[in-house]
Amino acid sequence: MQIIEKIKTNKSFDNQTEIQKICLDKLKSSPLPNPKSEEWRLSNKSKFSNFLDYSLNEKDQKFDTPFPNTSQSNIRLVIGDNCQINLINENYSIKQLSEDKLVKYIKEQISCFDQNENWSDLLNLSLNCKKNTLGLKISGSEIPPIEIFSHASSNSLNAKTLIIFLEKNCDIDLLQINLGKDNSSLSQSTFFCLEENSSLNHGVVSYGENKSNLLNSLNVIQQKNSEYNLGSLHFKFNYARFEIRIKQSEGNAKTNIKGMQITKKDEQISTYTKIDFNGPNGFLDQINKSLADDKSHAIFEGSIIVPKIAQKTNASQLSRNLLLSNLAQIDTKPQLEIIADDVKCKHGATISQLNEEELFYMRTRGITLTEASKLQLSSYFQEIISFIPVSKDKWDLLDKLLNEN
Amino acid sequence: MVNENLVKDVVKEPYKYGFVTDIETEKIAKGLNENVIRLISQKKEEPEYLLDFRLKAFKKWQKMKEPDWAGLGYKQIDYQDIIYYSAPKQKEKISSLDEVDPKLLETFDKLGIPLTEQKKLTNVAVDAVFDSVSIATTFREELAEHGVIFCSISEAVKNHSDLIEKYLGTVVPASDNYFAALNSAVFSDGSFVYIPKGVTCPMDLSSYFRINSGDSGQFERTLIIAEESSSVSYLEGCTAPMFDTNTLHAAVVELIALDDASIKYSTVQNWYAGDEEGIGGIFNFVTKRGKCLGKRSKISWSQVETGSAITWKYPSCLLLGEESVGEFYSVALTNNLQQADTGTKMIHIGPKTKSTIVSKGISAGNSINSYRGLVKMGTKAKGSRNYSQCDSMLIGDQASANTFPYIKSQQPNSEIEHEASTCRISEDQLFYLQSRGIQFEEAVSMMVSGFCRDVFNQLPMEFAAEADKLLALKLEGSVG
Repeated sequence: MQIIEKIKTNKSFDNQTEIQKICLDKLKSSPLPNPKSEEWRLSNKSKFSNFLDYSLNEKDQKFDTPFPNTSQSNIRLVIGDNCQINLINENYSIKQLSEDKLVKYIKEQISCFDQNENWSDLLNLSLNCKKNTLGLKISGSEIPPIEIFSHASSNSLNAKTLIIFLEKNCDIDLLQINLGKDNSSLSQSTFFCLEENSSLNHGVVSYGENKSNLLNSLNVIQQKNSEYNLGSLHFKFNYARFEIRIKQSEGNAKTNIKGMQITKKDEQISTYTKIDFNGPNGFLDQINKSLADDKSHAIFEGSIIVPKIAQKTNASQLSRNLLLSNLAQIDTKPQLEIIADDVKCKHGATISQLNEEELFYMRTRGITLTEASKLQLSSYFQEIISFIPVSKDKWDLLDKLLNEN
Repeated sequence: MVNENLVKDVVKEPYKYGFVTDIETEKIAKGLNENVIRLISQKKEEPEYLLDFRLKAFKKWQKMKEPDWAGLGYKQIDYQDIIYYSAPKQKEKISSLDEVDPKLLETFDKLGIPLTEQKKLTNVAVDAVFDSVSIATTFREELAEHGVIFCSISEAVKNHSDLIEKYLGTVVPASDNYFAALNSAVFSDGSFVYIPKGVTCPMDLSSYFRINSGDSGQFERTLIIAEESSSVSYLEGCTAPMFDTNTLHAAVVELIALDDASIKYSTVQNWYAGDEEGIGGIFNFVTKRGKCLGKRSKISWSQVETGSAITWKYPSCLLLGEESVGEFYSVALTNNLQQADTGTKMIHIGPKTKSTIVSKGISAGNSINSYRGLVKMGTKAKGSRNYSQCDSMLIGDQASANTFPYIKSQQPNSEIEHEASTCRISEDQLFYLQSRGIQFEEAVSMMVSGFCRDVFNQLPMEFAAEADKLLALKLEGSVG
């Protein structure tokens, strides 16, 4: 875990930014998360230490896009690729965040960090230098869809940070793609601030290659009357952790989350979500699906926190899981913490395998077992994939998933 | 809001069992060390193996840390400030109930427990435990005719030593957790039940636990063994006087069900919960676990938890035998500053095992009521199923209701379903009932009763009546 050694000594980081200094200071006393804490208890220790084994990649890496061409109207940005954008026209503007505002915002965020809960962010911010940080301020309407890439380079640890401010009444579609490479680690931290009446359709697609690792952390603050929709998909990572923290700062906001993680071989992918209702009339509809095959391990932990102030909250959380092999395992823990009494909150969880009766029905109609399984899986996946915005069809996500299985 | 205040008033029923019995007791000095354990063992004239068991448990306990994962807030317990043995003074051997101190009989009379002959009308055999010792067990002869052994655990140690040696600590090992280790080291009394092969116990068995002394802890241990094709229904009730100090209660209950056997264990827990400011009350740290060893065996826990300042209790089932069944039905009510962290563990080990969890939590006042459960499907639990449902009802906007279900599966050929919901007694519903001429209190009672029905339906007749009364008595009431 050479990165941790480096953090402990602190000196080996050149030209530290103010943010880096603050985070390194916070990490110095206890550089690793507490393995007994609820958030890290199930995390595979050897895989986690493998994540930290690579040396930090500080160089610019040219990004060779193996991806579909984007349509003209889309905006495509790559974090770390000398990314500059300044688009202003009569309907909308997309501007780079000023350095001051960026630092001020991140400092505010850090002040409420918890060492265990936000460890991934602390690590990200202490490793990240300016060029791997993208801060945007978006306003207006009729904004073209945006695609943002974060990628890792082989045999290295990469840290990328994305910060986006959506100004009042702004409405956008944004697809974030995180790509792992052979033997690599990617730490991605994302911060969104949705101002009043803004709406964000957010897609997160993360997929890796052989032995790639990912720590993906997403922090969203929603002001009143904002709407945040998230469709996420994580697959093909040796070790991946997706942390979602959403705070409806004044209530009266809407959040929809549909996430999925697929694990095979001996992979471990986990999703942790924490939804904090800090005002009345909040709404949440969340579904998380997992599929675990071979010797893999899928984890979901979701918590919904409804303090006294959050009256009339309507929140539901569902965890659906498919366990396809004798050696795979699934852990799920949907949890509710409620103090307000005038609320509608529910959660549910199921773990099962493919429906045998449906399989049998299809087989009696001449469909092979493999085809029948694929059909069932495709309907299982489709609910999530259809929720991911921006050019999802071009990515052939469904094909990728089905051919993998 | 007028209605909300009324609901709160309704919930505030004073504790009826807070009296103290003035009786001469034999107590040992406060504190816990090896000598205290030897002394307890000596007082109970225990065989060597049991003393060994206690001492080993004590050594383990010394190395353990008090668990803090439940997030319960209570002042630190000073384990050296507790009396570990307290017994009412009476003649050494009691041959009949007539020799029991009338004051004790009177106490149990006041609690509504029929110990004396003329009151033994209900068809329930009772083992009454007062502080650290068992006072009396009724209907013993009748039970003996069927081969059923029902006595205090101290008697069982003397008379059925082979069974105790074979089974004690096999379900909850001494090192299981902090409080189980403490109990294993200092347990004083409790009940022992043995149902022989093929016998259906002719009557319900019942234990009644009474803490009388303010400075002594209660550490009872219950062991129930159901042999092949036998069945038994066991009821447990508890109360304590009102003291402004906290009393520790750390019990261990072990159930063993062999092939085709069935055990139904029902509890109405009504320990003193402390006053409105949260002063006093029992700290209830209990380890209850059943082992479905045999094929098609069944263990069913049902509980109504209304008392205690702190409740830390997770009655669990280890489902080892093929097609064995585990059930957990619970109603937990917290008020004022009570904290309850309760739930269950269903560990599916054998194939085709089934479990059902129904948990209803009602939180009022400033209380915290949490459901914490674990459902685990092991690699061999092929064809197993679990269904869990946990609902919470909030009364007032100061109480909190939490749900923490842990679900773990390692077997694709198994199914787990879990649902949870939260609701409250809404003004609309109350208004509807009141507009139909139903009194406010009755309306609240009806709604709470409806909310808890799934669980009350599972209680044995004797308790079901009590539980209903408990509701009618505005959520806090009597115990049978």
